[in-house]
Amino acid sequence: MTRPALAIIGNGMATARLLDELAARGGLTKFAVTVFGEEPHGAYNRILLNRVLMGGAVDEITLKPRAWYAERGVQFVPGVAVTRLSHAAQRLWTSDGKEFFFDTAVFATGSTARVPDVEGLRRPDGTMKRGAFVYRTAADVQQMRHHARPGMRAAVVGGGLLGLEAAKGLSDLGLSVTVVHLFDVLMNRQVDALGGQFLRRAIERLGITVRTSVSTKAVLGDKRVEGLSFGGETLPAEMVVFSSGIKPRIDLAQESDVPCNAGILVDDQLRTELKRLYAVGECAEHDRTVYGTVQPIYEQCKVLADVLTGADPHAAYRGSKVYTKLKVAGVEVASMGRIDADRTGDECVQVIEEARGVYRKLVVRDNRLVGAVLVGDSSAAAGLVQLFDDGSPLPPNRLDVLASGEAIPGGGGSDPEVCNCHHVRTSALVGAIRSGCDTLPKLSDQTRAGTGCGSCRGQLANLILQNAPSTTRKG
Amino acid sequence: MSAPVASLAVLSHAARCRTHCPYCAYQCGVVMSQPGGGAWTVAGDPQFPVNNGQLCIKGWTAAELLGNPERVTTPLMRTTAGKLAPAAWGEALDFVADGIRRIRAEHGPEAVGLFGSGALTNEKAYLLGKFARLAVGTPHMDYNGRFCMSSAAGAGNKAFGIDRGLPFPVSDIADAEVILLVGANSADTLPPIMQWFDRQKANGGRLIVADPRRSATARTADLHLPVTPGSDLALANGLLFLAIEERLIDEAYIASRTVGFDAVRSAVLTYDPPRVERITGVREAALRTCVRWLAEAEGAMILTGRGPEQQSKGVDTVLAFINLALALGKVGRPASGFGTLTGQGNGQGGREHGQKADQLPGYRLIEVDAHRAHVAKVWGVDPASLPRKGKSAYELLDSLGPDGGIRGLLVMGSNVAVASPHAGNIINRLKSLDLLAVCDAFLNETSAEADVVFPVYQWAEEEGTMTNLEGRVIRRRAAAASPPGVRGDIDVLRELATRLGAGDKFAFHSAPEVFEEFRRATAGGTADYSGITYDRIDREEGVFWPCPAEDHPGTPRLFAERFHHADGKAKFHAVTHRPAGEEPDADYPLYLTTGRYKEHYNSGAQTRLVSTLAAAQPRPRAQLHPHLAARLGAERGSVLVLETRRGRAEFAADVSHDVRQDTIFVPFHWGGRGAVNLLTNPALDPTSRMPEYKVAAVRVAAVRPPTDQEVPA
Repeated sequence: MTRPALAIIGNGMATARLLDELAARGGLTKFAVTVFGEEPHGAYNRILLNRVLMGGAVDEITLKPRAWYAERGVQFVPGVAVTRLSHAAQRLWTSDGKEFFFDTAVFATGSTARVPDVEGLRRPDGTMKRGAFVYRTAADVQQMRHHARPGMRAAVVGGGLLGLEAAKGLSDLGLSVTVVHLFDVLMNRQVDALGGQFLRRAIERLGITVRTSVSTKAVLGDKRVEGLSFGGETLPAEMVVFSSGIKPRIDLAQESDVPCNAGILVDDQLRTELKRLYAVGECAEHDRTVYGTVQPIYEQCKVLADVLTGADPHAAYRGSKVYTKLKVAGVEVASMGRIDADRTGDECVQVIEEARGVYRKLVVRDNRLVGAVLVGDSSAAAGLVQLFDDGSPLPPNRLDVLASGEAIPGGGGSDPEVCNCHHVRTSALVGAIRSGCDTLPKLSDQTRAGTGCGSCRGQLANLILQNAPSTTRKG
Repeated sequence: MSAPVASLAVLSHAARCRTHCPYCAYQCGVVMSQPGGGAWTVAGDPQFPVNNGQLCIKGWTAAELLGNPERVTTPLMRTTAGKLAPAAWGEALDFVADGIRRIRAEHGPEAVGLFGSGALTNEKAYLLGKFARLAVGTPHMDYNGRFCMSSAAGAGNKAFGIDRGLPFPVSDIADAEVILLVGANSADTLPPIMQWFDRQKANGGRLIVADPRRSATARTADLHLPVTPGSDLALANGLLFLAIEERLIDEAYIASRTVGFDAVRSAVLTYDPPRVERITGVREAALRTCVRWLAEAEGAMILTGRGPEQQSKGVDTVLAFINLALALGKVGRPASGFGTLTGQGNGQGGREHGQKADQLPGYRLIEVDAHRAHVAKVWGVDPASLPRKGKSAYELLDSLGPDGGIRGLLVMGSNVAVASPHAGNIINRLKSLDLLAVCDAFLNETSAEADVVFPVYQWAEEEGTMTNLEGRVIRRRAAAASPPGVRGDIDVLRELATRLGAGDKFAFHSAPEVFEEFRRATAGGTADYSGITYDRIDREEGVFWPCPAEDHPGTPRLFAERFHHADGKAKFHAVTHRPAGEEPDADYPLYLTTGRYKEHYNSGAQTRLVSTLAAAQPRPRAQLHPHLAARLGAERGSVLVLETRRGRAEFAADVSHDVRQDTIFVPFHWGGRGAVNLLTNPALDPTSRMPEYKVAAVRVAAVRPPTDQEVPA
């Protein structure tokens, strides 16, 4: 009996994850899986592209080497685009003219960089002028790396998460970098206005110039990039990188009459409105939301694998809680959920530490954490994100949850336990010694330390020597 | 404590005897004496190089077990009125042998099960496994070490080709620059081991502890990682992600000494810090500090305890930490490497010699023909007559009774009614047996359900070897006379075997006799003891296995040259995080995790009888964070009624900042209404069949005001 054919269109992080989730449920033997990828590589981890920018090989960030597919009986069709899909005929066609039948197809086409339509960016053939890049694929980043030279001036258009990472990467390569941002707040999707001020200062401290509230009108230069024009003012640059956001790749779906809005519309089981067609990841729109971070995609892939394999036919995706961190060494930014108190009754807790350059904000609704912004010190993020996820009630003093990095505030080691049998700590012993227990028997009588296994008696004697009032002058 | 070493030798054996503590895998050397010919006392043995004279409070008070008024001194049989009453040995043995024969005749040999223990000496563990296969003929033989060491064992075998808890003597700890302890609270569970950590600290070393609680051990650490219960695997993968990102891995070591790294490199690529923070609750800065310390140290150790192991993904979790140790090039170097801290007294030896359902002596496997042939030859039987692989511990216990198919059970040295997960189910299963026979020195919650109880020798009353957590084979010596009427487990097995028609295979009257056959049975196996003799143990303060010949020095350190797979390489395994068998949800919103008090050992069957220990820690308390307590309206001493999908139990509240706000911790040393194992989840690891003692979803069903009795001291 032939296995049903499952076509997965796209080979990005969603597909890599979906394949793992399918494998865990026997899906790779249940279906004859074919993966179509436009790039030549096996799937790689896009959020680590900075490693390639810094000179690493694509292999270092590869999630699925090409051999992986073959070893698991997955047909991998790299280096071609799917150009047409017929729902009625259950067929799709690739850019090299081949035709494939499917029983079920998954759109995992991801997104592309959103490039503003500015004058002078493109050559007559539509390609971008030499020196202009987007920050999206391994090939993009390899070309950036090839072009970049220490001392060169670079402009990064877009001061979001990706833009700042690209800027830091180029700065580390020795370029003089200016971030050009359309809005007045950097990372405006993750950081509120006040936090944006702290972020800006932190970025500037790295030696990166920041220009906010500027709209790029034109790319200057004849054959190659020579600068940007903001409509009057100009910024000289030999390199420009567009990281002004992403847009879902829905062209194939639209042409195949799959209903789309900003993304391909899916329900709680990642089904499109056409039978046997699914969508997952950055190309999918669920409950009016298109996600651009990786955790929601993982959650979608789990549900989709449950649904496709029948492992849990009732699995449902209900949306994701978003947590992001900026991966720029020296600038800590963490953000989760809501960044502003936008409903009556929402509480907002802000801690502003100018001297430390730290800004921290909690958004609390119904006694639960629904959002947080941390700039300059994200050590509380690990504890906060778990409160954000599990929705447990906050302590009355909200500052308790900001007090430290983790679920258990305070490090060990400051007040070690000396007597393990009776759990007596150094502080208690020192207190007893200072108030008169200056011999071992007195100290043991008072604190019980040393009366169990006795192995701490040497330590007790030392503590007495060091702390008893009459003996402190010794040594 | 400076016991005069020189004088020991001149004292008569009866007055003073060197032996080992009855409890944990650290097996401290003790010196027993009887001042004035009165009650026995126990002191630390300054000559034994593992504990150097130190003992924990359990060890110091262990003599109270000798001459304890609760001691069973005559066989007990259940009367028609349902009470256990004294019986003659012959009558009790006949009854059990008849029962086994009858069950075998009516339902086949698979209808009889045997359940052993990590407390048994090597000789007894070996003999019990042989008894199951030869005298009873059943495949269903397993033991409580399945609940303890099986995940670490599975991982060690996969990665290194051998399962010896520590591949080095504990003294190496002192020289490790950095140690990562994962889910191990040694300060409470193996207190005398802390002398080596103290020396390590004095030498300038650093200690990192990963634990959902700020345990007594975590308090001594330079860095504490308060992981979410069940998230250790993600922690390990997250650390390896950072090691790769920061170029801290040892490429040359990976190339020359390991196989399989590429798949691991790909697998950990998705364990970026934000994801790992979210799963583990450990902040990125702490993750980075941890991995840098480990990587930059010349010698670094990663040691796991039951925290990461007692999970339904325990094997994969241990493998993830082994991956990290291998990728950093730390395994097989001096004062460096990976190890697991074994729990039970003979938890190491007990897992090597055929008490396991899939195993034969010498760490041989019951499904491998060559292994069957070797052991069958030593035993003088046809290899085909040996049963195949049987059920693992929880599955065996869950099969007790008419509907499960196992109608008769012999338990030796294990209190399964307290120690098993979902204990309410197991107690019902025990009640449904046609025959339950128990060998133990004291009555406990398991023997309370027995038809027959055989009173047997305890630790200081009999000879035998143990293998400590280092893989050092040591001798327990008979110091005290046993009370009249008590016999040894070896005697019980011989007498039962005789009645079952296999007496010629069990004609042993002492441990040394068993040891001689046992040595031959292990010869050529992975855990080869054939070169070890009692004399050598005495002369050398123990001998480390493998020791294949009497002129072989033993093997204190493994892996310096090669690993134990055929190609000599260590194997990486690509492993990924998955949720626990049960995660908190709207109905059961908190984590429940379990562990130990330093005053008690395992199910408490022994330590609850020791007055000092019972007074110090009279009952289990549920540890919870003040924020959680405030939300629940609980205070210190409030009675918390805890509920999971499997049961309900009650504990006094122990309100403490030393536990995560989403987690309740309860020790497992008690039965009855205070048995936390009524609540635990028997979700099993697919490889090791280890139950998930460390993660369950729980709710606080009710909070009652403190009562006088329940307010902790």
